[in-house]
Amino acid sequence: MADNRIDGYAEAVLAVATAEGQSEIVEDELFRFAAALRSNDELVGTLSDPQLPIERRQKIVEDLLSGKASTVTNAAVSMIVVAGRGGDLPEIIDAVVERCSASRNRAVARVRSAVELTDDQKSRLAAAIKSSTGTEVDVRVIIDPSVLGGLVTEIGDDVIDGSVRHRLNQLRESFR
Amino acid sequence: MTRRIRHIAAAAVIAGAVVAVQAAPAFASEETVGSCAAVEAIHTQEAVGELATLEEPGNEEALKKFDDALDACIEAPSPIIPATNEIIWGGGAFMVLLIFMIWKGVPAVRGAMDQRAEKIRTDLEAADQAKAEAVKIKTDHAAELAGAKAEAAALIDEARAQADRLKAELSARAEADIAEMRERAAADIEAGRAQALADLRAEVSQIAVGAAERVIHANLDPSTQRALVDAYIDEVAGANG
Repeated sequence: MADNRIDGYAEAVLAVATAEGQSEIVEDELFRFAAALRSNDELVGTLSDPQLPIERRQKIVEDLLSGKASTVTNAAVSMIVVAGRGGDLPEIIDAVVERCSASRNRAVARVRSAVELTDDQKSRLAAAIKSSTGTEVDVRVIIDPSVLGGLVTEIGDDVIDGSVRHRLNQLRESFR
Repeated sequence: MTRRIRHIAAAAVIAGAVVAVQAAPAFASEETVGSCAAVEAIHTQEAVGELATLEEPGNEEALKKFDDALDACIEAPSPIIPATNEIIWGGGAFMVLLIFMIWKGVPAVRGAMDQRAEKIRTDLEAADQAKAEAVKIKTDHAAELAGAKAEAAALIDEARAQADRLKAELSARAEADIAEMRERAAADIEAGRAQALADLRAEVSQIAVGAAERVIHANLDPSTQRALVDAYIDEVAGANG
């Protein structure tokens, strides 16, 4: 039931973005907004707090996205928050991104990195993933300082962890 | 009051009456000193006229005779030998009393003695019977006492055996408990040692990894980050081939 609801909101957002001809821009902006939400649980809690007036939650969204995202992205997020589904925003955005990639016959590769990747690195990474998995992917980078160095790539349920953090964890485990 | 006692009391009363009646003539015939002196004074007065004239000369013979008569009156009877009439009357009374006592008292006394003897014999027989019963009770009691002693000895032996068994069981259980406690203590010590070792390892690894992380973080400049990303991409690309 929850998946159906998330799919419904994702299709609605994607339909609006496609109708406005801004699907790729909206997809990118929503992906970045979802990354910001995942790193801030307090923000997710605030946007899904039923005790907080809807107007107040909508004002928070406008303050966050005004001038940093397109009107369509701002409207889509506001619509979800006003509908009382702020807690489902990350999952809805993931569904939107996956549907955009699927429309291009691609999968989404969520890459966590401590630093921003260059376009060359993104394209080479996409090519490397295709050569190793046979899947065309859209690389979506999430800046995550906790990985320290290297990359962590998630494609669906598959995870390719080449981060320094992972090496340090392996080192810690070797001591036990 | 029983019939025998009444007979004895009646015999005593009759005997007392007989003695009193028999003794009365003896008292009646006895002459006192006063009466004797009076009689002698009368005889002397008849002989000389007036008693006062006895002091006068010529009456010395009559005076001496009167003195002798008074001395004879004053002279006391024998303290040992009673008077003849007393012997006669006393002897008669005694014989009457003796006959009466033989006639009435002896059978009564004999009957009382027989009854008393019969009572004593009955009491002795009862005492013998009681003694026999007592002896029997004593024998039974001794037998019961012996049985009780034997039973008590058996109980004591059983209790002692049970105490020995209990002691052995407790000893075995205590030894088992001690062994279990010892094993548990050894396991606890081993677990504590392992936990301490694990904690130490965790702390060492935390320190080592923390130090490594600080060193890596200090050396992660942009070129190093770029090199790490490129190495990752190459590794992913080479994973298929």
